[in-house]
This record gives sequence, C-alpha cells and structure tokens, in this order.
Amino acid sequence: MENIKKRLSDYIDRLNEEKKPQAHGNHTETSEMEELMNTVRKIRSLKEPTLPEADYPEKLAESVAKQLSAKSTVKKIKRTLITATAAVAAVVVLVFTLSSILYPRNTDIVYAMEQAFQEVKAYHGIIEIVESNSEGKETTQAIREVWADKEGKYYVKELEGSQSGLITANNGEKKWQQRPDEKQVFVFPAFPDPYQFSFELGKEINNVKNATEINTIGEDIVSNRAVKILEVTPKGGQPYRIWVDKESKLPLKRECAMLNSIQYTTTYTSIYYCDALPEELLAYCIPEGFEEINKNPEQLVNNIEELKELTGFTPRIPVGIHESFKRDSISLANSMKTVKLNYTSQDKHNRVIVLQGKTEGELIPATTAVLGTVNGNVAEIQSPVQRDYGILSGGGVYSGVTDISSIRWQEDNFEFAVVGNVSLESLVSFAEKLADGPVVIPAGDENSSNKPQIEVPVDLEIEENEQMSVDAGHSPWKLDPTYVAQVFVSLKISPEGIQGDYPVQYEDINLVKNDGVNAVLELSKDTTIVRRVYLKRLIRQDNTGIWTVVGYDPVSS
Amino acid sequence: MFEEERLQKAHDGDLKAIEEICSLTWESLYRFIYYKVQNRQEAEDITQETYVKALSYLQRHNVKIEKHISFLKTTALNILRDKWRKKKHRGINLTLEEINPIETAVDDTTEVNAQRAIIQDAMNSLNEEQRTVIELRILKGYSTYETAKIMNKKEGTVRVLQYRALQNLAEILKSND
Repeated sequence: MENIKKRLSDYIDRLNEEKKPQAHGNHTETSEMEELMNTVRKIRSLKEPTLPEADYPEKLAESVAKQLSAKSTVKKIKRTLITATAAVAAVVVLVFTLSSILYPRNTDIVYAMEQAFQEVKAYHGIIEIVESNSEGKETTQAIREVWADKEGKYYVKELEGSQSGLITANNGEKKWQQRPDEKQVFVFPAFPDPYQFSFELGKEINNVKNATEINTIGEDIVSNRAVKILEVTPKGGQPYRIWVDKESKLPLKRECAMLNSIQYTTTYTSIYYCDALPEELLAYCIPEGFEEINKNPEQLVNNIEELKELTGFTPRIPVGIHESFKRDSISLANSMKTVKLNYTSQDKHNRVIVLQGKTEGELIPATTAVLGTVNGNVAEIQSPVQRDYGILSGGGVYSGVTDISSIRWQEDNFEFAVVGNVSLESLVSFAEKLADGPVVIPAGDENSSNKPQIEVPVDLEIEENEQMSVDAGHSPWKLDPTYVAQVFVSLKISPEGIQGDYPVQYEDINLVKNDGVNAVLELSKDTTIVRRVYLKRLIRQDNTGIWTVVGYDPVSS
Repeated sequence: MFEEERLQKAHDGDLKAIEEICSLTWESLYRFIYYKVQNRQEAEDITQETYVKALSYLQRHNVKIEKHISFLKTTALNILRDKWRKKKHRGINLTLEEINPIETAVDDTTEVNAQRAIIQDAMNSLNEEQRTVIELRILKGYSTYETAKIMNKKEGTVRVLQYRALQNLAEILKSND
C-alpha cells in the first residue's frame, strides 16, 4: 500500500517536470494504479498545456523530413530490387559499388558515437531480444526494461520471457537481484559486478571502436528513427550489424552473426536519455513476503585502528596514489580474514580495491594469467580477471567481468591483490605504491626468443575456424594454455585418441611463461616424451584468443 | 486540405512541404496529444511520430484527405493506444473509417468545457484538505516537500491525502462516465 502512494506521488512529480513517466507504456501497472494515473491526467487537463520551445515547429519538420526521406530511400531501393530481378547480379554489383562510394569505410561514425555517448548521463529503454533460425522463424526471447547511467548504476526488469519479473539492480553501494518466483532478494557487493545486460550502449560502442573493419551499408528505420546500418567485423570474428540512430548517433539495434543456424537481434524498441535514474528504482528494499539472501557479507570498518583490532595485523596502505582516486571505505570480507580498501575515482567511473590478508599457502597463479613480478616476487597478472584464486576468491566475484584487471602477489607472509576497472598501468601504479617496489609486466612478444626444439606445423585456416567456434561458445578449454598443453601431450602418448582420464594430469603442468601472446608450460613428471610445450595466440592476442601449440622440447633435452 | 503534390513531396522528405504541413497543424495536434499524456516530453515525441506515420500512410494509399486534422489525431490516438495497451506491440492499423468524432473532438470548445465542468464538480465534492492537496500537487505543481510545508503536514501525510483524494475522484468520475 505504501508503495502505491509513493509511486503515485512520483508519477505526479514526473508529470510536473513535463517528463514522460516510466509507467506510460510500461505494461506492468495494476488496474488500481492505472485508474489513479488516469485520474491524475484528467485533473491535470484543467491546466493549460505546456507548449514546446519556440523553435519546435522547425525542429519537428526537420526530424519528420529526415525520417520520411530515409523511408523513401529504403523503399526506392527495395522497388528497384524487385523490378530488376532479371539483373540481380548487376544490381548486387551496383549496390555494392554504390555502397562503397556513398558509405566509404571510415571511423567518423565511431567517433560520432563516442562523442554522443559522452553527452549521455543516463538512459531508459525497452530492449527486445528476438531469436531467428536459418528458415527465418522468429521467436521473442525476452523483453526487458533497462535504466542505466555512466557511473555503473542500473536497474533491469525482465518484462517478458522465461525470467519475467526478475529485477537486477546496482545502486553503487549494493547490487541485488529480486527473484519473484523464489520470493528472495539476493544481495551482492556493488563492485565488481559481473552482470552486464545485453546491448549496454557503452560496451557496444567500445566493441565497434575495437573492430577491425566498419562499413556503412545502408539506411533504415528502427523504432521510428532514421538509422544507418553498419557492418562491423570484430578482430578474428564474424561480421555483425548495428543500426545507429542518425540523430542521436547512438546504436538502436544489433544483429549478431548467424551461428549454428541461430541469430539474435537485439533492439531498443524505445529509448530516451535522462539526467539520472529515478531514486525509487535504486532504493534497496525487500518487498513484503521476500527473504534476503546475502552469502558474502562485508563488515564496514571506520578506520585503520579499528581494522588492526579486528584483524590482529597492521594493513599496508598505498602511499602517494594519484589524487584523482579517493579511499571511500574500508571493509572486512571472507569471514573477517580479508581487508578491503575501496578507492573510487572523482568522476565515480572507476574503482580500485586493494585486498590483503595472511597467506594460506604458496601462490599458484591462474594458468590463463600473465606472469610478472612485484618487488621481485612472482605476480599473477590478469587483464581481465578470469580466475579467482587466492585472496581474490574471498573478495567478491571478480572473474568473468570483462573490464576488471588484477595483480596478485605474496610478500612477507601476506598475500596482496589490487583489482579494478582501470587500465593495467593505473593498477601497476597502485601495486607499486602498496609494495613500495617496482612491478614488471612482460611485454607480449610476437617474435618470442623462446624457440622450441621441435616445431609443430599450424594451419591458420583451421585455427581461424577454431577461433570462431570458441567465439560461439564451443571448446572453451582452448582459451586455457594448460588445457591445450594437456590435450597435446596426452595425444602424443595416445595418438589414437584419449579414452577415460587424460594420461597427464592438469596439476602436473606448470606455467613457466605467459606474456599474453606466448606461453611456455613445463611437465613436472617424466611420463611422456615431452618436457616443454610452446603455445601462441595466433588469431587474436587478448583473453578471447585461442592458444595453439607451436612446438615442444622432448624429454631427452 | 493538402493537395496530393504537397503530400507526395512531404512523404519523400521535402523539408519545405513538411514545414508547411507542420506549421498549419502542429499546435492543434500537439495540444490534443498533450491532453492525453499530460507531459511535454511525450507529447513532442508522439507528435513527431504521428506526422511520420500519417504522411507515410496518406501517400501509400494515395488518399486525398480533407479532414486532415482529424486524421492526424486518429493516428496519434492509435499510436497512444498501441503504446499503452497491455498486449504486445502489433503495429498500427489506420483506417479513415475509424475516426471517432467524439474522441478526436477534444479541442471542440463545448466538449472540453463539459469535461472541465465534470472534473471541477468532482474536485468540489472533496473535503477541503483533499482538495487543497490536489490543487497544490497537480494543478500548481508543487513537490510533496513544498506542499507539506504549505499545509503544515508531514510529507507522508501529504501522500496519504493525495492518494485518498485521487481514489475519491476516480470513483466520482467513473460514475459520470
């Protein structure tokens, strides 16, 4: 009941601000609320309407002209194609040539998108995800309402689909997921946050920016907006399409490449840009009848003195960090064993967490990590974080978040880690200030000096296909150099194929070197003819690139 | 009346033709939409959407339209219904026969005045506190904080008063429908 009074009041406020209320077009209101909103509008109609700015008629005519012009162009092209069926080939060539002339490959549109997104403070949209198969049959998978801002706060509600009613939100202090079926609210730390809703604008623009090729291939209308169609070819991946609003310069629709006869199209059926997210959506509350589930509670600590008393040791504090970062909280996690110092940038876009605790065994780096040193000690460097080992496992869910990097090392019987959504250089600076010593990260060297004694021939075409297959979610083990080495060595022992357990255990393979491009692994047991395996990321040199065996050293050497 | 040539030009995106059509009709259409949605942002967006849809339709069906304002308003109503109805988006069907003179006549002075009188009567039947809260919050546009200060009450009380007043008004207006 309290809720409806509050929502009704917010609805009136929104109309008073002359802004579109969220409830207009959001088909989830109760009939009582609908009736009350209708009454508010009726009462309000006693007032004179608020008229637009003086230049509205001109702007209106311009916008209408743009949209009609785009529609007309598309139609004319369609008509041409239909009537000229006899000359299909010629038309294709003509369209292709015209496309090249009219829409040359350029990065202006990417720049325009970046600039436009810089102006956006927050946005609210309805996203529709449609799955289509090779026969053209379409099924709506989900319809979700999203609110998101540039500080990483968001509110996502599933309106239709298998998870209808599910709400996921992050207000910068807390993240929660309200699951109506289970009547439970799950609580997580606000940062890092592995959740990303599909077609988040910032991430989408970043993907386009990092693509190897972008071509404008046509124009269209999406959600009543005139758009340009771009074909984007990601590094080592299959081309996909995005539709970019000509006026706002922001993406409205994305059509993924068809993989395994399935293609996904994600569209903002409506979107508008605003200054901030509505407060009521970001206010954490447990609805009546719901239970709160918090599996990793953290205790906030007021100061370092209090921290010393609780942990029994004096934590290290990084001294002289860049002034753009401020420490905003100190907390204890992992049953009070891990100290977390939380830093936030002034613009609140970036966060760094410094983790420390007593060592609980030797440092075993993630096999997917690059190996470097901090103050002379071996350091695990992950960019992005793929495995939560050691102290990372007690601090939160770090792995799988694409923009989170980490540096982890041990020193003086303590384990340290710095984790954040900042550049690796910024993270190095934090680690250096914490360790009071240099951080060394090996450079990814395409022409590595480590040469195997026996080279393994590689077919690049096969590797490219393997990469596409992994991109589609198959054989994820190819992203882990240790697994790739394990399979290679096992096949050396059993060339006819592996049956049952692998003859070489994963734990018996040690990472000697990994600079992100080249990796060398050593076998600790002499159960095989292979001593060292040399791998390389041949197709794509980032964490999504597959590893390929390029050579090995036999045991005798 | 818009002659066929101008409509054709407008449909092809001719700015001058569209400016002419918009300048003659936008305010009446905008007021009609505002009356329904009661906020400027949405009224501006739907006005624009209405022109795009209506001009496309008129050209596609080669229609000579004489009651163009009514047609624009019907288009706007269909857009609104489509956006607000609870069923899934299924596109908009426009037919000239669907034009409902009662619904699209809200700028007709007699009709508007009759509706205003009904709403005003309903307001007068509220008790003084409820009427004041509605006047301050909805007609004068004060926030709950400001309203609470003026009425010397707590914000929570203002929200309760407002809720009950609107419940009463909804009942009264429903009985008048």
